Amino acid sequence: MPEVILSAQDLVKHYPIKKGILRRTVGHVKAVDGVSFDLHQGETLGIVGESGCGKSTLGRLLMRLEEPTSGKVIFGGDDWSGASGRDLRRMRRDIQIVFQDPYTSLNPRMTVGDIVGEPFEIHSDVVPKGGRRKRVQELLDLVGLNPEHINRYPHQFSGGQRQRIGIARGIALNPKVLVCDEPVSALDVSVQAQVVNLMEKLQNELGLAYVFIAHDLSVVRHISDRVGVMYLGRMAELGEEDEVYTRPTHPYTQALLSAVPVPDPTLRGKREQIVLVGDVPSPANPPSGCRFHTRCWKAQDRCKTEEPQLEQRPDGVGAHLSACHFAEPRVIVETVDVSGVVPDERFASTDVRDTVVSDDAPADLQRMIDRSEASSGDQAYAPQDVTRLIDEQHGDHRPPTV
Amino acid sequence: MTTIQDTQTAGSEYQPVDGLLLEVEDLFVEFHTPDGVATAINGVSFELRQGESLAILGESGSGKSVTAQAIMGILDMPPAVIPSGHIRYCGQDLLTMPEEQRRKTRGPEISMIFQDALSSLNPVFPVGWQIAEMFRVHRGLNKSDALEKAIGLMERVSIPAARERVKAYPHQFSGGMRQRIMIAMAIALDPAVLIADEPTTALDVTVQAQIMALLQELQEERHMGLILITHDLGVVADVADRIAVMYTGRLVETAEVHELYARPAHPYTKGLLDSIPRLDQKGQTLAAIGGLPPNLLRIPPGCPFNPRCHMARDVCRTDLPPLHEVTPGRFSACHYAEEVINA
Repeated sequence: MPEVILSAQDLVKHYPIKKGILRRTVGHVKAVDGVSFDLHQGETLGIVGESGCGKSTLGRLLMRLEEPTSGKVIFGGDDWSGASGRDLRRMRRDIQIVFQDPYTSLNPRMTVGDIVGEPFEIHSDVVPKGGRRKRVQELLDLVGLNPEHINRYPHQFSGGQRQRIGIARGIALNPKVLVCDEPVSALDVSVQAQVVNLMEKLQNELGLAYVFIAHDLSVVRHISDRVGVMYLGRMAELGEEDEVYTRPTHPYTQALLSAVPVPDPTLRGKREQIVLVGDVPSPANPPSGCRFHTRCWKAQDRCKTEEPQLEQRPDGVGAHLSACHFAEPRVIVETVDVSGVVPDERFASTDVRDTVVSDDAPADLQRMIDRSEASSGDQAYAPQDVTRLIDEQHGDHRPPTV
Repeated sequence: MTTIQDTQTAGSEYQPVDGLLLEVEDLFVEFHTPDGVATAINGVSFELRQGESLAILGESGSGKSVTAQAIMGILDMPPAVIPSGHIRYCGQDLLTMPEEQRRKTRGPEISMIFQDALSSLNPVFPVGWQIAEMFRVHRGLNKSDALEKAIGLMERVSIPAARERVKAYPHQFSGGMRQRIMIAMAIALDPAVLIADEPTTALDVTVQAQIMALLQELQEERHMGLILITHDLGVVADVADRIAVMYTGRLVETAEVHELYARPAHPYTKGLLDSIPRLDQKGQTLAAIGGLPPNLLRIPPGCPFNPRCHMARDVCRTDLPPLHEVTPGRFSACHYAEEVINA
């Protein structure tokens, strides 16, 4: 196995809850509560879990965008939890992040060239000043965008193209690790595949290691070598992609897998459905013992008092890490190996270039209609009043035609 | 459990003929903007029968939500305009109906569930009050009777401790519970047609499974016609009887669910199916549909999908393919539908 490049050791992040005029701390939201894992060079570690499980906070802790309450992040052998100033900046060069929302994570007043080239302003020794524009164009080309669009602004690009810009910025400093926080969840299905394929290509070419944080278990299975399942700030199960998906031992993983719809109507009614009762408890007041015991069908008295440790537990074939007293493998998803099956190129392609012939006018109208579809698939579009958009057109006093 | 049937006003003026509830015929919806006219819905026709689940599948901007809003009559007009088309409910055209009459169909006849339950509920009223409003306004019940009905509905949609929580406000509920409240409101007056617009998109998978199971159960119990609007091919495979795929405001394919997944008849559908990672597959090569859907102000001539289609030939760039029957019960808007279906 390749060497460990990034290691999280017992990471904890508690956010204080303050109340009253004295802003006294009355409790803590235990967003991440003791998470450890290793990331190896060139591999993809998927982190899955439902909203509120702490997966995004974990990503921010790895980047030191948040100070951990306790625990360490070890990068390339050095503990960088205490680093500051110049040391921290030097380390950040090797670990970068791509955010979920391509609509808010790019500054609308900066051109694409400025956005992708900004890391060079801070790390000025990476590329000398004269060569930066060329380097930015190379990066745009690498992520499948037209290098001639370097002077355009983010609003002139679609969601998928913006996510490519975010990725170009992420890889600008040749990092060793890229933390990706829900990088494709704001994109339409047909565009998702383009970005996932691009990320796989970049990994092969640049030898990047990914921490891929997502709630979509199908995407995570596709891209990950190893997978960690989080529940209420703790790791419930961690193992090779195969181990977690074909022989999960933690009841939460099993329930999660059984709830994912599979796009195949012939499986309707044939798949085992484990329906969990209730909702995820509040991370401010997590259940005692095993955090999953309030929703678990296997829970016994022991689970209420004794917290199960994340340790190697037999899964029928070998063993992998699981945090359940009663860990037992159970087949939830009948996996079909389709490696070698090549999709029909007449309908869709594995080409990672952005093939869109973009027209010069920004696609504002498209956005406007999307917005009026207050409930279109993209959560990124906040519903917005269409008439206001029209009012904003200065010098145009025509009333909207009816 | 309270039965809701007894509240149905005897002898509703709307009676489906041969189980046919809703007919949408050659519907157009335009958005008039300073930059020009965008045709969001471009000649869409479909039918919905009693007890049937129809899924309208499409990406953002395909017009799927606008279709739903047009049926409900909740489009913002202006900027939206419906220049032509018919939406018939039990034979009566909703578009030509006086507004007062149409208002009375919303709730008792056709109702809708939205994606974002938090912003669809009123934050300053207790949820029970909001559910009970349906009975007060449409059925003229007094406050306490209406509230009793609301509690019954909350129990029906499996909200625990309904009697205690009837006075709670929307923010005191989780996302899944809020969506249950939305469902309770939507089924309150026992509608014949339920439109669910991305009902689970904002929810986690385990909660999504609960909500979809509840919707299916209610549909069977009440024999409703269900229109499910979604972009999720997984959810559709579990729920729908029939699927209509939309692209740039047009229907590009309609088919029975098994047929569509086994042998899609339009390159767009085929491409979508190839581009989704599947939980039950390993080593899958993902293929993407290149490019993006076109700007609705500049829809390319010919087939609107031609710039992204790997099969496109000269005729696709000039002639718009009509939605035609490929095999019995299957419709596709592709010049080479036979070729796609046999691929």
